[in-house]
Amino acid sequence: MMVDSTAKLPLQAAEMADMLFAATRELFTSMLGTEVERLPEPDKEPPDPFDGILSLIGFTGKVIGNGEIICTAATACDLSSRFMMTEFAHVDEQVLDAVGEITNMIVGGFKNLLEAHVGRLQMSIPTVVHGKNISARNLKADVAVSLRCAYSNGEIQLKLGLAASRE
Amino acid sequence: MKEAPNLLIVDDSTAIRKILIRVLNQTNLALGEVLEAGDGKEALNILEGHHVSLVLSDINMPNMDGIELLRALRNAPQWHDLPVVLITTEGGQARVQEAVELGATSYVRKPFSADQLRDKLAALLSK
Repeated sequence: MMVDSTAKLPLQAAEMADMLFAATRELFTSMLGTEVERLPEPDKEPPDPFDGILSLIGFTGKVIGNGEIICTAATACDLSSRFMMTEFAHVDEQVLDAVGEITNMIVGGFKNLLEAHVGRLQMSIPTVVHGKNISARNLKADVAVSLRCAYSNGEIQLKLGLAASRE
Repeated sequence: MKEAPNLLIVDDSTAIRKILIRVLNQTNLALGEVLEAGDGKEALNILEGHHVSLVLSDINMPNMDGIELLRALRNAPQWHDLPVVLITTEGGQARVQEAVELGATSYVRKPFSADQLRDKLAALLSK
């Protein structure tokens, strides 16, 4: 799903989705030891609310908003096992920390690419939520990007909700 | 005989600290103690009580970030020449330039491959 509600940002949603996927692929290749592919956009939105993991990081600067990663608990454990080279069978503090750091690297990689167009941005530290019946909303986003990616053992969903700063 | 160097890893992510320790263990270098801090303030406290030969620090951390830590170290005579490698998602040229001007010894951008980091650390520690 991609939404371009205004022309306030210098890039289109599709360009931002490409940048987000480039950052995702770099992380998977260099630190998770596996390839990742971008899946076609689904005909309908994924179920909401959902059970699993939501990890998000905020942006401030000339562009404000956040980046998110959503996955199941099983995928979070598998990603964390690859990242830490230690087996995780269930979600614990270490898995939440690892998923937060994975989010930091993917969203940070996207931010580095975006800065070439909008100038310097700042990122918050990650927040990772694990639970059932999770719903999340991006309010007032000028550009909304959602893409699904798959690797050998699972899928993740990545989202951006961005707006030009009103300051 | 030369004493094995102590290292200090500064990162608010325990995941990254564990990954760095694993990479360090794979360098086959004779290392002393590998110390860990969750932010710049904690790092300064540890440095007060230990002789450290190399600091590996994240930039984005709560309480005191990596740039503030680097500034504090370069302003303290006892740590002015202490090698500091910044390891961070911050890849913007302005941020790199700021770190270099403040006296960062080297800079590694996350995500990194274990081989890339291992080679860089081995080169720094063998000096």
